[in-house]
Amino acid sequence: MTLHSFLLLSAVLFSMGIFTLLERRNLIAMLIGVELMLNGASLNFIAFNHFTAPVPAIGQIIVLFIIGLAAAEISIAISIILALYWRRQTSNVEELTDLKG
Amino acid sequence: MLTLAILAVFTPLIGFVLPMLLLQRQPRAAQAFAVLCSAVSFVAVLALYLQGHGATDKLKAVFLISGGFQVEFGFLLDGFSRLMGLIVALITLCIQVYSLGYMAHDPARTRYFSMLGFFAWSMLSFVFAINLLQVFIFWELVGLASFFLIGFWFEKPAAAAAAKKAMIMTRVGDIGFYIGMALLLREVATFDIPTILDPASGLIAAIAPGRLTLITLLIFIGIMGKSAQFPLHTWLPSAMEGPTPVSALLHSATMVAAGVFLFIRLYPLMAASHATMTLVLVIATFTMILSSTIAMVERDIKRVLAYSSISQLSFMLMGLAAGGLFAGFFHLTTHAFFKALLFLCAGAYIHHYSTNDMAAIGQGGGRKLRGVTLGLIVGGCALAGLPPLSGFFSKEMVMGALHHDGRMLYLAGGLLGAFLTAYYTLRMIFLVTRPATTQTAHGHDAHHGVPGVMLGPILVLTAITVVLGFFGTSLGHGLQQEVEHPEIVMMMLAVGLALTGVLVAWLDFGRARAARVGFIAAFPPLRTLFENAWYVDQFYAQVVTRLVMLTARVCELFETRGMDGSTDGLAEGVAAVGGRTARLQVGWLQVYLSSTVAVVALFLIYLGLR
Repeated sequence: MTLHSFLLLSAVLFSMGIFTLLERRNLIAMLIGVELMLNGASLNFIAFNHFTAPVPAIGQIIVLFIIGLAAAEISIAISIILALYWRRQTSNVEELTDLKG
Repeated sequence: MLTLAILAVFTPLIGFVLPMLLLQRQPRAAQAFAVLCSAVSFVAVLALYLQGHGATDKLKAVFLISGGFQVEFGFLLDGFSRLMGLIVALITLCIQVYSLGYMAHDPARTRYFSMLGFFAWSMLSFVFAINLLQVFIFWELVGLASFFLIGFWFEKPAAAAAAKKAMIMTRVGDIGFYIGMALLLREVATFDIPTILDPASGLIAAIAPGRLTLITLLIFIGIMGKSAQFPLHTWLPSAMEGPTPVSALLHSATMVAAGVFLFIRLYPLMAASHATMTLVLVIATFTMILSSTIAMVERDIKRVLAYSSISQLSFMLMGLAAGGLFAGFFHLTTHAFFKALLFLCAGAYIHHYSTNDMAAIGQGGGRKLRGVTLGLIVGGCALAGLPPLSGFFSKEMVMGALHHDGRMLYLAGGLLGAFLTAYYTLRMIFLVTRPATTQTAHGHDAHHGVPGVMLGPILVLTAITVVLGFFGTSLGHGLQQEVEHPEIVMMMLAVGLALTGVLVAWLDFGRARAARVGFIAAFPPLRTLFENAWYVDQFYAQVVTRLVMLTARVCELFETRGMDGSTDGLAEGVAAVGGRTARLQVGWLQVYLSSTVAVVALFLIYLGLR
């Protein structure tokens, strides 16, 4: 269990998150992708905290922040998606192109 | 002295401004005011002349300063300018009075009299100018006045075209004058005429001969334009579209004489270049013969007089170029009076018979207008150079100068010109006074005669034409010029040729059973050539106008396709690029995210590779 394996795992999680974000058409699915990205980044922080900088435990604090912020952000995002769904009857991001220029 | 000069020069300006601004609806007041201003100006100039006593007064003040260079404008009151000013003011006054009758029914009289005032101001300022820049400015203003007056009846397309033609042609000459002036400035570093011409300053002598010839040639190009010498002469016959008093004032006596006066004014400069003097002689001789031959076949009385003016101006220039300064100037003086007289008589005929055609005037009973006919005969004989009229004296002086110069070719040209002049002048007189048949005059003009305001100036000018010749010598001595009289043989030869011209004209037109076609009918190709004015106008229309239009077309293409095209193309290119780029804004969230991810990835790769 070296640092590298954790970093690799976090990179994999992050890129899976990006792929999900870019590929899925449903807004909720995009949010899942965002969650994955956040988890990947958190894992990265924790790994560095454990292997290179255990004292002080800054990495853990950052991860706690990330978890809290992720929760708040998800609630906002869900309410926006709900409002959008009520108005436009769709949660397909391909159809939500009002800002097209 | 200064007061008189200012009064003389600026009163006509008031005569221009005030009626134009305030008296547009009171033409009678306007014309009276204009005549009054002319009269005041004339009295002032007369006073200047009589007080002159051969003195030269220079009155000047700084007009503009540029760095270390100063230009002073003012009045140069020497014998030549006083006499010339007197001629201008007197003839202007005669024309103003005459116009009271001639233009009596014209609705735009205010503008007419105002423009005459504008002309008089410009011309007098030109005559009295002390600085070459001042000369140029008023030279141009005189041309502008001519434009306005030729195109006075601007509703007539022919008049508008003639005004344009005069302006453009004299402008071409003026470019030469301007460049010559600039080159002169480079050599002598001043525009002040007395300083330049003063032999003690040595400025002229210091100029290299090649440059001097160039400068004088360029100035002569300006003179060619203004005084209607070949090839810049065709505007003058066209200028006859203007009212006849305008033709009398501008295009015979004063404005076209401005070119000759410039030559006189700058005589030491011009005479310093022998090459230029010779070229002037050549061009003047050629123009004299050219215009005399055209006058021989013209039917319109004003055009005969116009070509005659061209030919007499050439004669003046011939005298000047041959070294006869006073001879040329005296001929300018006498010509101003008898040519103005002839034009006023022509105007009286035109006013009465409503036609310019000499044969028609004659058949309408031309010689019934007695005073006018007397003026016509006196003026015509003066023009032909018959003694004892003034024209004889001045022509003799010019012939004397040509003879003294020694080059027989030009003297022969002058003599031929004298013969032709006498011929076409008497042709004109006979066509008007001894027509083939006489019809009764038609319409209401039959018995109403010539108004007094028109007859008065005619009689005044007739009197002057008769007596002026005898004052030649005294005028010359007054100007401190040597007055050479030609030898008796020369005089007899010239008079003989003139009388021969009279005789041939009599045989062709004056006799009871004359054919009235002129001896030139025996040479049809020549006759065609003369009737088409040597095809100069046609040449200009075909070649020059086409060249100018071609250049204009090239410039237009450059402007629309080149400049506009490139600017528009640039704008359209930018818009197109913008349009393409705008397609990235699809509004589809994931496209934006993809591009963000791509950029970040590239950046990371870049950092990784470093």
